[in-house]
Amino acid sequence: MQINFGGREIALKLVYYGPALSGKTTNLRALHQLTSDQARGRLMTLETRDDRTLFFDMLPVTLRAEVPAGGMALRIKIFTVPGQVLHASTRRLVLQGADGIAFVADSQLSETEHNAASFLDLRRNLSELSLSLRSFPVVIQFNKRDLPQVRPDQELAMLAGRGREPVFKASAVTGQGVLETFFGLLHMTWTKLDAEHGLASMIGIPAAELLPMAARQLGITTDVRELLGASLGGRLDVGHGGRS
Amino acid sequence: MSAPSPEIAVEDLVLADRVRIEDLVDREGLEELCRSFVTLFGIPVRIYSVEGALLADAASEHELCAYVNTLPQGRRACAATVSGVRSQDPGAGGDVARPCFTGAAYRVMAIQYEGRRVGRLIVGPFLPSDVSGPPASLLAVDPALDAERARALLQKVPRAKADTITRIAAHLKAALDLILFSGHKAHVTSQMHLASVRESYRQLEEKTAKLQEAFDRLRELDRLKSSFLATVSHELRTPLTSIIGYSEMLSQGLAGALSPEQQEFVGTIHDKGQQLLSLILGLLDLSKLESGTMRVRMSRIGIEPVLAQVVSTLTPTARKKGVELRMVVEGTLAEVKGDPERLRQVFINLVENALKFTPQAGAVTLRARMVEDAGDGDGEGLVLLSPTRTNLEVRVEDTGIGIPARERPRVFDAFYQVDSSSTREYGGTGLGLSIVKRLVDAHAGTVRIEDNAPQGTVFVVTLPPPAPTAPPEVRSPG
Repeated sequence: MQINFGGREIALKLVYYGPALSGKTTNLRALHQLTSDQARGRLMTLETRDDRTLFFDMLPVTLRAEVPAGGMALRIKIFTVPGQVLHASTRRLVLQGADGIAFVADSQLSETEHNAASFLDLRRNLSELSLSLRSFPVVIQFNKRDLPQVRPDQELAMLAGRGREPVFKASAVTGQGVLETFFGLLHMTWTKLDAEHGLASMIGIPAAELLPMAARQLGITTDVRELLGASLGGRLDVGHGGRS
Repeated sequence: MSAPSPEIAVEDLVLADRVRIEDLVDREGLEELCRSFVTLFGIPVRIYSVEGALLADAASEHELCAYVNTLPQGRRACAATVSGVRSQDPGAGGDVARPCFTGAAYRVMAIQYEGRRVGRLIVGPFLPSDVSGPPASLLAVDPALDAERARALLQKVPRAKADTITRIAAHLKAALDLILFSGHKAHVTSQMHLASVRESYRQLEEKTAKLQEAFDRLRELDRLKSSFLATVSHELRTPLTSIIGYSEMLSQGLAGALSPEQQEFVGTIHDKGQQLLSLILGLLDLSKLESGTMRVRMSRIGIEPVLAQVVSTLTPTARKKGVELRMVVEGTLAEVKGDPERLRQVFINLVENALKFTPQAGAVTLRARMVEDAGDGDGEGLVLLSPTRTNLEVRVEDTGIGIPARERPRVFDAFYQVDSSSTREYGGTGLGLSIVKRLVDAHAGTVRIEDNAPQGTVFVVTLPPPAPTAPPEVRSPG
């Protein structure tokens, strides 16, 4: 997070992490499509010729406090990392300064190991940046629910109930579960940063108002509570667990 | 950590970077873009940076403006208007109209990128559609003004409705936004590229440092091992000398006559003592070679006497085993640079080895000849190099059990034997060949193994000629 008082801005960085081809870029594309361009900018994608992310994708979202005179702006930059093993150093670079992470897993049974490997990679990279997963707002998305041969719902619900991170099911190609994941992550990140830095009063809006405001400015009509309600298990409200 | 940690953080690149039009857009291109708008709509367009610097100016002066500027007070009024427009803030709405005393007008608009103001766009002067004639402010601007002329020229100023201007400006801004986005993307890509190259470099440096450290440690360990070996061999040799000496005295009857059985036992003690001594000497040589403390005294020598000496030394052994030992010299042999003592050791070892593995009625041949060095390429510069690259080749051919091809690279390792059963059958320590290899290396030569069809092995030792003598330099005076 960066606070720029002169520019009356607060910048947040959210990162979509996950194994290669799990659908991180597709999530951003869907998010881009599902939101109005009033608050979000162009999707910046830096792709290689074979359609895979070279460095990262970035979708900027700018929320403005809806107060009469000059509230601060909350600039949220949503990044994806390149999933391929090859780009390890880039992943670490993109992770630097992240405020929250959405881990996009591939639901297909055959990808189970890749998901796990990528999660360990995330943990390793965070620890190289002197960060710990425990103190980090993280949501997990199980993407590609529309495909056959995926991890069964029952199993996910059971494991999610035991795990720490909220889990969202998604099918990013159809846009399903994308907003839920994003709002879940925004909620956790915002809750944690507000607890640590008092962001709400800095921006000048009540803490509970941020998500509805974001939804409004992004042109989303679904009730925010409904979006957050889609999460399986995990603890959506304990993003502010403090640093370990 | 010696290497710097990644300095360019992505957040610095993307999160907090201030996008500046002047950094991302080519000035001339921007000017061209503006000119194309002027060509299309006839209305001047200027682009200012957020700090107020003029970035593109595609304005051509209207005739009215040119005329007004010929009048002293007109010029003053014009300058005041222009500087007012130039410093006009587009306001919270990002779009402000600013009238001119001539009846024409300007529009000052904000250029936004990603929700931030990055510059201003000034459109005008143009004639608002509701202005029909010259206003009083124009007619009164200078006593010398020719009203009729001003009226005529005013009509020549391009006329536009407010929303037309809005549309034109929106279009220009959209085009500019796209250019800014592309520029920004390219900028971020290159920065990211740099950062990730730097990060990879840092990782590589770290790894190299670790490897270097490990390498240094291993080298130190190796040195310690060699020096330990040298010390131990030396210490072992001292008591062994006594064992050999006293058993020799015993067998010579210096301490009284021995029974045949006692004689045999003492003989065994003496033989085994000798065997142990040669093993220890071999170890000592090896450790000296490994630690680099073995002295090799190089001089120009002929190889023939060395080989002849080897043959005469080992002929009794060969005879005892019923193996024929021959020496063949093909053609005239050139001199080599070498230490005769060490070369003798090389060929003693090789011939001993060959004799050991050659069954009765077999033959061991020591063959020496000059060969042309094929070099390591496809004959590049062969015509130039081959005369200077005639090597001496000494082949030790046996008709023994042979060495399987896959074992060949390993037989020069210390203590290695093709299979341990051969140790029991043929004896030996497995040190000889590794000493040979190191000694040949010390002579800048090579040793390799070939088949001796149909049966047996050939050890081929190649020794380079003494370094070519450089031709006498032709010195030009001065």
